Amino acid sequence: MYRKQVRRRRAVLALLVISSFALLTATYGQSSGGLQRGVSAVFGPLQEGADRALKPARDLVNWVDETFEARGENDRLRGELAEVREEAVAGEVALQENEQLREILALRRSGAIPSGYEPITARVIGRSPTVWYSTVQVDKGSSSGIEVDDPVVSGDGLVGRVSSVTAGTAKVTLITDPESAVSAKVVPGSAQGVAKGQVGDPEELVLDFIDTARRISRGDTIVTAGWRSEDLDLDSLFPPNLPIGEVTEAPIAAQEASRQVRLRPFVDMRDLDFLDILTGGSRG
Amino acid sequence: MIITPRILLRLVVIVLAGVLLQLSFFSRVELLQTSPDILPALVVALGLLGGSMAGAATGFSVGLLVDCLLVAPLGATSLVLLCTGYLAGIYRERFDVTSSLVPPLLCMALTMFATTSFAAVQLMLGVDAPVSVLVVRDMIVKSAYAFFLGVPIYAGVRWALRPALIEDRAVRRRTHPRMLGA
Repeated sequence: MYRKQVRRRRAVLALLVISSFALLTATYGQSSGGLQRGVSAVFGPLQEGADRALKPARDLVNWVDETFEARGENDRLRGELAEVREEAVAGEVALQENEQLREILALRRSGAIPSGYEPITARVIGRSPTVWYSTVQVDKGSSSGIEVDDPVVSGDGLVGRVSSVTAGTAKVTLITDPESAVSAKVVPGSAQGVAKGQVGDPEELVLDFIDTARRISRGDTIVTAGWRSEDLDLDSLFPPNLPIGEVTEAPIAAQEASRQVRLRPFVDMRDLDFLDILTGGSRG
Repeated sequence: MIITPRILLRLVVIVLAGVLLQLSFFSRVELLQTSPDILPALVVALGLLGGSMAGAATGFSVGLLVDCLLVAPLGATSLVLLCTGYLAGIYRERFDVTSSLVPPLLCMALTMFATTSFAAVQLMLGVDAPVSVLVVRDMIVKSAYAFFLGVPIYAGVRWALRPALIEDRAVRRRTHPRMLGA
């Protein structure tokens, strides 16, 4: 009895397997047969009804999945955005540095730097954190031939002078430092004075002790005077005709009373990356 | 399992409901970029409750119906699901289902078997698709879904076929002795 049952089972199983292979062989590579068309015709309306009835549940599940997926996507995009932002900033910095180097090169080629000076390009590596001292640190020092009192320029004009030096670094006191004083002259004309910095205002200089006999107008350019005293055998720290700034306020009353005018330096002192240090030359 | 016309009708309804639910719902939702497949789990449940012949026959029917509705080459899904149902039935005939974890674990294992076998059949039929990591991932996630879906599917099928199940009849007789005298 049991064996008969087993034989019958095996026969049914074999029949089903053979039927599957037969169906596969008969229908593989063919378009829909009569059986499929018939079943589809019978179950089509049922499927349609089930499809409509289950749509809300389907939408709910898909919404949950999409929400989780969107969250992951959001995190990924945020990461990508941060990377791209870093790259963009790096590119912007490179462009800015390139621009400054080009300006320095243009200044050298323009002939503004007098002969006898050897310019050394240095990168700004530090800046004074207080408003009381307008100084920057550069990455070149005495080992590169830099000495105290060397004039420092950028592509836009005079920046300051080297005030102290180590083997690998140098401190540059900017012309906007309150302790700084540069003998200057006005062009056009030949009025002379001393350009001085003011505490906490890197955008303004004062041209002091001007000759009141000569009038100065707004927009006049101020350059270094570069004087030389034959009697004392003394030279100015700065070579002549380096651009310093432009006169912004020059009321006649102020010129007569306090003998000073205000000017804006050509160099943006808050945005210094590369500087040219003029080594060699004569010093007072 | 005692097959009566009423039980046969219930089996037909279970198979139809399962196939429609799969095609209209589970195949069209995605969780973790994978659609669950309840058909192997359904066939496993039927095999576990009805034995190897019931499992094989329902597996064949489910596969045939799916292939007809999807207008796919007939026989491929039938072959895979009849083997799946047969294996589940063989397990039932040789071992006792002592733990409630057996049905979901078997659903998971045999879903993996079914998806792998189906992939093998497709490759044998000449479907030129590269077997990528994504295919393997899909199989694993589908099997994991089968574990969780196996619990309600097994319970539902068992509830629907309860009058036909010999063991459940015996249990009912033991728990309600007065009914026997009535």
